[in-house]
Order: sequence, then C-alpha cells, then structure tokens
Amino acid sequence: MIPRGRQIHKTFNNIKITILCGFVTILVLRGTIGIGNLSSSEADAVNQNLIEETNRVLAEIRSDKDPDDPADSTDEPQFLSLNDTYTLGPKIVGWDQQRKVWLSQNPEFPSSVNGKPRILLLTGSPPNPCDNPIGDHYLLKAVKNKIDYCRIHGIEIVYNMAHLDKELAGYWAKLPMIRRLMLSHPEVEWIWWMDSDAMFTDMVFEVPLSKYSNHNLVIHGYPDLLFEQKSWIALNTGSFLFRNCQWSLDLLDTWAPMGPKGPIREEAGKVLTANLKGRPAFEADDQSALIYLLLSQKEKWMDKVYVENQYYLHGYWLGLVERYEEMIEKYHPGLGDERWPFVTHFVGCKPCGSYGDYPVEQCLKSMERAFNFADNQVLKFYGFGHRGLLSPKIKRIANETATPLEYMDQVDIRRPVHGDESSGSSETKS
Amino acid sequence: MLGAGKFGTPAQDLDDLTTHFYASRKHAEPHRVLVEAQPENENENQSNDPKNYATFDFNKILKDEGGEDEKPDPNKPYTLGPKISDWDEQRGEWLKRNPNFPNFIRENKPRVLLVTGSSPKPCENPVGDHYLLKSIKNKIDYCRLHGIEIFYNMALLDAEMAGFWAKLPLIRKLLLSHPEVEFLWWMDSDAMFTDMAFELPWERYKDVNLVMHGWNEMVYDQKNWIGLNTGSFLLRNNQWALDLLDAWAPMGPKGKIRDEAGKILTRELKGRPVFEADDQSAMVYLLATQRDTWGNKVYLESGYYLHGYWGILVDKYEEMIENYHPGFGDHRWPLVTHFVGCKPCGKFGDYPVEKCLKQMDRAFNFGDNQVLQIYGFTHKSLASRRVKRVRNETGNPLEAKDDLGLMHPAFKAVKVSTSS
Repeated sequence: MIPRGRQIHKTFNNIKITILCGFVTILVLRGTIGIGNLSSSEADAVNQNLIEETNRVLAEIRSDKDPDDPADSTDEPQFLSLNDTYTLGPKIVGWDQQRKVWLSQNPEFPSSVNGKPRILLLTGSPPNPCDNPIGDHYLLKAVKNKIDYCRIHGIEIVYNMAHLDKELAGYWAKLPMIRRLMLSHPEVEWIWWMDSDAMFTDMVFEVPLSKYSNHNLVIHGYPDLLFEQKSWIALNTGSFLFRNCQWSLDLLDTWAPMGPKGPIREEAGKVLTANLKGRPAFEADDQSALIYLLLSQKEKWMDKVYVENQYYLHGYWLGLVERYEEMIEKYHPGLGDERWPFVTHFVGCKPCGSYGDYPVEQCLKSMERAFNFADNQVLKFYGFGHRGLLSPKIKRIANETATPLEYMDQVDIRRPVHGDESSGSSETKS
Repeated sequence: MLGAGKFGTPAQDLDDLTTHFYASRKHAEPHRVLVEAQPENENENQSNDPKNYATFDFNKILKDEGGEDEKPDPNKPYTLGPKISDWDEQRGEWLKRNPNFPNFIRENKPRVLLVTGSSPKPCENPVGDHYLLKSIKNKIDYCRLHGIEIFYNMALLDAEMAGFWAKLPLIRKLLLSHPEVEFLWWMDSDAMFTDMAFELPWERYKDVNLVMHGWNEMVYDQKNWIGLNTGSFLLRNNQWALDLLDAWAPMGPKGKIRDEAGKILTRELKGRPVFEADDQSAMVYLLATQRDTWGNKVYLESGYYLHGYWGILVDKYEEMIENYHPGFGDHRWPLVTHFVGCKPCGKFGDYPVEKCLKQMDRAFNFGDNQVLQIYGFTHKSLASRRVKRVRNETGNPLEAKDDLGLMHPAFKAVKVSTSS
C-alpha cells in the first residue's frame, strides 16, 4: 500500500509528464501542420500562394533592382575619381545667336505666345515607387496641382522620371535635364524647375517676367543671408527660373562639377560645409554648390541673378500652412506673398522616403491642407469647394443654373474680370 | 522537416484562428494581402517614431468634416442639373466676346481638353498611386506634344453618381465651364498613350459629336455590351452633348435605380454579366434602342485604337518595334493601350497582379521611349526603368536628328499671323 502522500506525489508527477508530453506534441503539431490547417487547408494553400506571390511582385516592383542590370551588379559601382573632369556635355558656344536664327526660321514656334514669353515647367520624381505608398499619393496630388496652375497660365510641363546621367542622380539630376530641354527647345524662353514637394498655393499670381528682362536666373532668397552670412540656405533651388541662353548654359557647366557621386561629391561636401554657415556635414547638394559658386564668382554671375523675396517663388511651409484659414478670411489669391503664398514648399518632409525631418502627421496634414487650399481656388471656378482643408469631399458653393456662363465670367482667373478690378486679377500682371 | 520558421508565435496562432472564424469575408483576403505586405517588412523598433512614414496610419489625416451629402429628393427623378436648351447660342455669344479663347487653334485643329482622374484618397494597393503617377505623366507627355490641355479630377461632384458614373456630372460641368473647348476627351486613368506621334483625324469628325472606339454591327445589330468602349471617347461641346448626357444619366444613380437598371442591361445586352448598371452598357443600350435620335452624330471608330484592349497588344510591342514605327495608331502601333480589368488602384482586379503591373510598366516604357528619343535616350529594355543614350550630344544641338518629328511637330505649331 503506497502512502497517500507518495500517491499524490506520483499523481502530480504523472500529470506533469502528461502535460509535458502534451506540450511537446502540440509544439510538433504546430510546427508541421499549424493550427490554421485544421480546416480548409486547400483554400489556405491557395491563399498563402497568392499572398506570397503578391508580396514577391510588390517587393520586386518596389526594389531598385532592374532586369537590365548586369548579372554581376554586386560589384562596386564605378565612380569618377577626384582627378576626373566631369562635363554635362560638349561645350556649346554662340547659343544666343543659334537660337535667334532658329526662331527666325521657325515662326510657327515663337518664343512668346499671346504676349507672354513661353515658359516650360520642369519637375519630376524617381522612376521607382516611393519607399512607402503615401509618398506616391502626394506626388500624384502635387502633379495635379501643377497641372492645374499650368493649364490656367498656359505653361507646359515636363515631368521627368528618368536619370539621364547616372553621375548626377538625386537632387543633381535636374542639371542635365535643364540643359537638355534648353537645347532641344529653342522656342522656350524660360525653364522653371520646381521640386516635386512644392505646390502652387496661389492659382492667380503670375511670375512678373518683365521685372527680369535684364536677368537670366530668378531664384528665391535673401541677399544679406547670401553675401553677409554666407548661409547655406540663403537661396532655394526648389523653385527657380533659368532663361534659355548662353549665360545659363555656362552657369550650368560651372555648377555641375561638384555633382558627380562618389568621392567628388563627398569631397565637395566638405568644402561646402567648411565655407557655408550652418551647413551640416553631408555630400555636396546642388543648392549649397550654387550658393558657393555665386559667392566665390560674384563678379562674374551676380549681375544677371535676381534674388527674389517680394513673393514666395519658394515658400517654406512651416509658418505658412497654419495660417491658411486666416488668409482665407483676410486676403485673396493674386498676392503671392506672405498674405497668400505663391508656392508652399515642403522642405524636409520627404514623403517619398522612409524618414523625414519632421513628424509624419504634421507633414502629411500640412500637405493635404496646402493641396486643398490650392484646389479650392480651382474648384471655385466650377462652383465647388472642399468641406474643410483636410476633407477630400466637396460641397457646392454656387447653385447650378441654366446660364452657367454668367457665374463663370465672374470667377474666371484666366481673363480680366469684367467690371471688378479688385478681386481675382493678379496685382502684378505684366 | 520542420524549420525554425514554422514554430509560430502565439500571436500568429491567434491570427490564424481569427482568420478562420471570419472565413466568410473571403474578399477581405486579398485586401489583407496587399495591406500587410508592407508593414511586415519593417523593423518593430520603428513603430513609435513619429518621423517614420512606414508605420504611420494615414486614416488619421483625412477629416470628413462639415456638411452632409446633398440629399436627393426621392420624389424627383434624377437630373444632372437644370435643363439648358440654348447652349449653342450661349456658347456662340461667349466665343464672339472672347476672341482670345477661340475654339479652333488652327484650321482643322479644335481645342481639346483631356479629362481623367482618380480618387482623392490613397489607393488600397500600395503601388496603385505609383501607377497612377506614371499614367498621368504619360498623358502629360502626349498632350504636351499635341497641344491638348489636361484636367485631372479628384473630386466627386455628385455622390449619387459615384464610381464609373462620376464622369457624367464632371463632363457636363466642364463643357459648361469651358465654352472655348471644342472637344472633351475623356480618358480612364488605366489607359495609356502608346503612340506619341499619332494625331487624331479631326477632319473625319467634323460632322459628328461623339466618337468612341467600337463597331456598328456589335452595337446596333448584336447589342453586345462591349461593342463600344467608354474608357476613351470624344464629346463635342454643344447642345446635342448636353442632351445625350441627360439621356445617358438615368441609369446611374446608385442604389435601387442602378441595380434595377443593371438587370435590364444584362437581359437586353449580349454577353453582359450580372452586376449593377455601368455607363458603358448604358451607352450601348441607349444607342441601340434610340438609334434614330443619336446615331447619325455618333462615330464608332475602329480604324485606330482610340481604346486598345491591352490583352491583345502588350505581348506584341517588340514585334511592333521591329516592323513598324509610331504614327499608325492602329494594330501596328496602338494609340492607346487600355488596362481594362486591371484596377491597379483597387484591392483586386480581374487579372493577376503580376501580369497587370508588369505589362503596365512595358506599355509605359513603350510610350516613354518615343518621348525620350526626342532627347537622345531610350529605356534599356521595355521592362527597365533605366535609360541609356542612343544619340551622342554634339556642339550643334539644333542639327540633331528628330526621327519622329516630335521635337517641333506640325500639330503643335501656332498660327503664323498671331497677334500678340
């Protein structure tokens, strides 16, 4: 007869062993079969395949791998060395004369249309999907925003998604593209580069080109920040205009050498950080390089550069987006300045990447507000407006009638408003 | 036999269990697939970082604020807007008063507005917005070369006419707001231009008001639901168009009307599956049953691909490159490749994801090559995002060969005697 205590002890041991065995069995079963496979295992297998297949396709699309990269693409990329000289292309001379001759031979492609010099807006984004989907969504909204402004103002758009020059990728990619477009389109008088993270927020305002008849580069910035402080943010290359002329080609040639990626760009970055106030340490960027170039070769270039700050050719978003409601209440489109900014530029948000310099929620909300603030100015023409600056839905602000042209005549941005000079028309129309 | 990966976590078990309890939501599966594909790749450490885009929930951004959807009067039949009967006169008057906005840019070159669009909310598919972006770039290129303006719509003007019907209120609104526009060209967001050199034969259409890709026999004789395609069509800006839109709209209002109309269409049209009324089937039905009213002003074009079904085109691009050249617009070099059924912005479509997206890349590159060659470049292959130079830079850029004549095409020229 086993003592009761030992009996209990034995029972406990048995229970422990049973539980242990049961545990191991379950582990093994989960490993081989999985709880999920207790039912409809075939449908699951198909679904699992679908999931894996779709994941694979999406990952492939979103990677930087390209089917045409050479098989041994794990090799180190070939960078230009510090001794190599980089050029954007063969030196062009006499471009002004060449252009003039071409224009006289091609009167059906004049450099002015309806009294306005022909402008081409150049913008773009990388050929890959953004690191995260919301980035592509805002690229789409930003291009719609540009399409709207340019349609109203008769400006053509080139949206670049190709890296024409593998040396000058990233923010430098605009240089070869600007040069290429100038040379292929002599009928274009001005090339306007605009970043993909910049949006038009004044749909009425027009760049006062007559102000720049003696200049070839119009760029937003502050002369004292530039000449006195040598600040790396004295000018902004997110939105600027280049006249199509020899001077511009020469400037591009002088600007490009800091760009080629690899040791050249790295070393150039150090020079820029050393010479420009406030610049963090990183590889050379086009903006710092331009500032440095204009400072160190001031006499050669500055007389043809217009440093503009009377209106927001580039408007740094922080400090602007919170005030949209106040602007709507107090002012009207057409001013282009701090009362109704021409361009709101989301520097530092980087929605196409993985990380920005600011909290995501703040950036995205601000971008949505800027988009809707601008869209309202377009929708007004059709009798609609967004329900709120964060709302994708719209509401009617003017009733439908059987004589729609009467309403339209009152709100048309493109034509001088009949009998009402104060609203709608730009105050700086040339 | 087992592999370390198969020792799941309790969290995974819970996931599996809950999935199976919700097995009836089968359609949610692909949605979960496409949504989860992204965060699974990310590091857990990032979940609390406010600057990290990967872990951010976009639903926090949009606010459905201020105001209700307009409630339609249930007793009144649906209308697109107040009836207008004298649009030709109103428009004519306006054109006279505004000589700077003529409806013809040159002889035989009408002013055209291309209209397309997409939702103001991000796509459910994580690469959907990227394909919408490529698609609009493609349209920007064609339209710049051909002197056509673009309107990209992201607003739902009338909640009752949502989905494929949303184009009707939009088209009406644009016609009435842009009297200077002679033709409105509607184009779906999943359609791409693949012949950059083809200019529409405007003279052919001088006596008609609506041009769609399709075949007379298939519409009028067979009443086939795909006898024409409303993914890419031209509508002239006149009274006839307003009347057509009014006659087309009644099957559109969502809910009971659209469902019932769908049943009629499935019954009356050949080959139509069962689903709610769509604008295309409604158009076939309208034309087939009211030919006398509308037929003489409708041109069903099959001489070139105003709409080209992608299924029969995309595999032939290499063959086309070898044997033909841009400018034909037809089976030799299609004007438009239309990815019907792909739905890259949605959760799932009628075709496998891989086929759709890869073919859209090819179509995009096929079109893009024709633009890049103006500047001396081309894609390394139809599948590649990378480009290579095909023409060296010279010191005499104005002498560059412009094989396709797209650098300064005739269809872009302005009238020589323009007054400034």
